[in-house]
Amino acid sequence: MPPAVLVEHVRKEFILRHNRAMGLKTRFLALFHKSKRERREHFLALDDVNLRVERGEALGLLGHNGSGKSTLLQIIAGILEPTRGRVTTHGRIAPLIQLGVGFHPELSGYENIFLNASLYGFRNRDTQKRVKGIIEFSELQHFIDTPLKNYSSGMQMRLGFSVAVHLQPDILLADEILAVGDQPFQEKCHERIAELRAQGMTLILVSHSTQQVQRFCDKFVRLEYGRLVETGDVKKNSPDATELSINEEG
Amino acid sequence: MQTPTATATGFARYWQYRDLVRNLVAKDLKVRYQGAALGFLWSLGNPLALILLYDFVFTHVFRSDLPNYILYLVIGVLHYNLFSQAISQSCESLTGAAGLLQKIYFPRILVPTANLIFTLALWVVAILILIVLYPFLGGVYHWGLLLYPLALALYIAFIWGLVLTLSVLNVEFRDLKHLVEIAVMFLFWLTPIGYDLNTLGTNSRMIVDFNPLTEFMQIFHSLLYQGTLPSLSSVAIASAWTAAALLLGTFLFRRKARGLVEEL
Ligand SMILES: Nc1ncnc2c1ncn2[C@@H]1O[C@H](COP(=O)(O)OP(=O)(O)OP(=O)(O)O)[C@@H](O)[C@H]1O
Ligand SMILES: [Mg+2]
Repeated sequence: MPPAVLVEHVRKEFILRHNRAMGLKTRFLALFHKSKRERREHFLALDDVNLRVERGEALGLLGHNGSGKSTLLQIIAGILEPTRGRVTTHGRIAPLIQLGVGFHPELSGYENIFLNASLYGFRNRDTQKRVKGIIEFSELQHFIDTPLKNYSSGMQMRLGFSVAVHLQPDILLADEILAVGDQPFQEKCHERIAELRAQGMTLILVSHSTQQVQRFCDKFVRLEYGRLVETGDVKKNSPDATELSINEEG
Repeated sequence: MQTPTATATGFARYWQYRDLVRNLVAKDLKVRYQGAALGFLWSLGNPLALILLYDFVFTHVFRSDLPNYILYLVIGVLHYNLFSQAISQSCESLTGAAGLLQKIYFPRILVPTANLIFTLALWVVAILILIVLYPFLGGVYHWGLLLYPLALALYIAFIWGLVLTLSVLNVEFRDLKHLVEIAVMFLFWLTPIGYDLNTLGTNSRMIVDFNPLTEFMQIFHSLLYQGTLPSLSSVAIASAWTAAALLLGTFLFRRKARGLVEEL
């Protein structure tokens, strides 16, 4: 069986523009004024990254700020094109780079559920079948017809998370989104993720917390300045919850 | 339960997202009018005011001697409005949706397309007035009217091509909108909306003939005003412009769409 996600020799360069010429006017002026010219610099965000995530497996993605974790998720989700290399995926991907993508403050929670789900490629009638479950899970029954602008930020995240976990993706790409809402709701989210995992969902989880990776993942990788520096299995039932076992794989 | 498939290709890939387009358009309508049905009527205020203004200008200042002049004018202004509104909005459609585009993948072409459909939805209300007023303004019913939907479809396809082009270009050139607004203002006078093409001198006629909108206006005026079939040359030239706009728009989108996200 092919792996759910296969990342081969992926490299991503960004162009950092200093003094960016945003329009035609500045470009025209730049012809005459040297100081108005933009300078470009290449920045290597990912360098020869190789990954293989089997179906039903859960991978933790660790690394310092700016190490390229979100960039890697965006490439796997097809949002960004890699500069070099290839990504192959099998199954429907739900990227959770942010909760509640496309939520509009003027629309009610109910309307936002449909808008958000359709961004993931869902037909409204399929969302309709899930909408009851989504509202129940979010515990926002009383507010569901209120415009989103009157929600607290935690309530908005609850709604976003509820939609995402009810879309039954084959592959979930989660970027630091497991800290949703208050303590009881977080517990509920974790249970739901575990439940989806048990049903065979593949998970790639970006996190700064080794406990979280320990809890949800079978494997982990660590990125440093865009390079994979560490790959290993998560040792279950480890006495020290902060310890991840390390198997160097070449 | 049905879930979206991951492997749809070609047209099916876009078709799968049809409810996204519908929801985006519904969102824009709701946000713009805050659910007030009366607010919708305001979208009529603009074309009506324009028609009154132009009627005054053209009958009293320039003296047009076209019969049923108001009908001629209404047809021109309404169709030009569709163009100008769609074009002005298109510039910011991709840059305005940066938040979506950076967080999730869906066919990018749907964003400017949804914007165009939103403009069309508002425009339909304006065209309803024309339908109601048509007999009173001296319009004639003839079989050629059945061709009107085809002519309109051609026009919309032409506009769609331009919308795609401008939405992509605006990512690179953020001040394109200002240029486009000026161009839209000039184009109005270079299109036979308030005047008859045959009254122009040779020099101005040459410029106006080069304007793609002229051919579309000629077609609409033939069908709706003169009650005749449009000339074949108009149809051929309009089709050629449409093909060119579509080719340019889809080509730019294919080339640039993927790389756009990091520029937003
Ligand atoms: N569109 C862009 N243009 C230029 N540079 C970018 C762009 N997107 C990301 N980068 C750069 O790429 C690097 C990696 O960013 P990324 O968001 O992947 O980091 P991260 O590992 O997710 O960090 P964090 O833990 O803070 O979320 C950063 O240095 C960032 O500045
Ligand atoms: Mg990040």
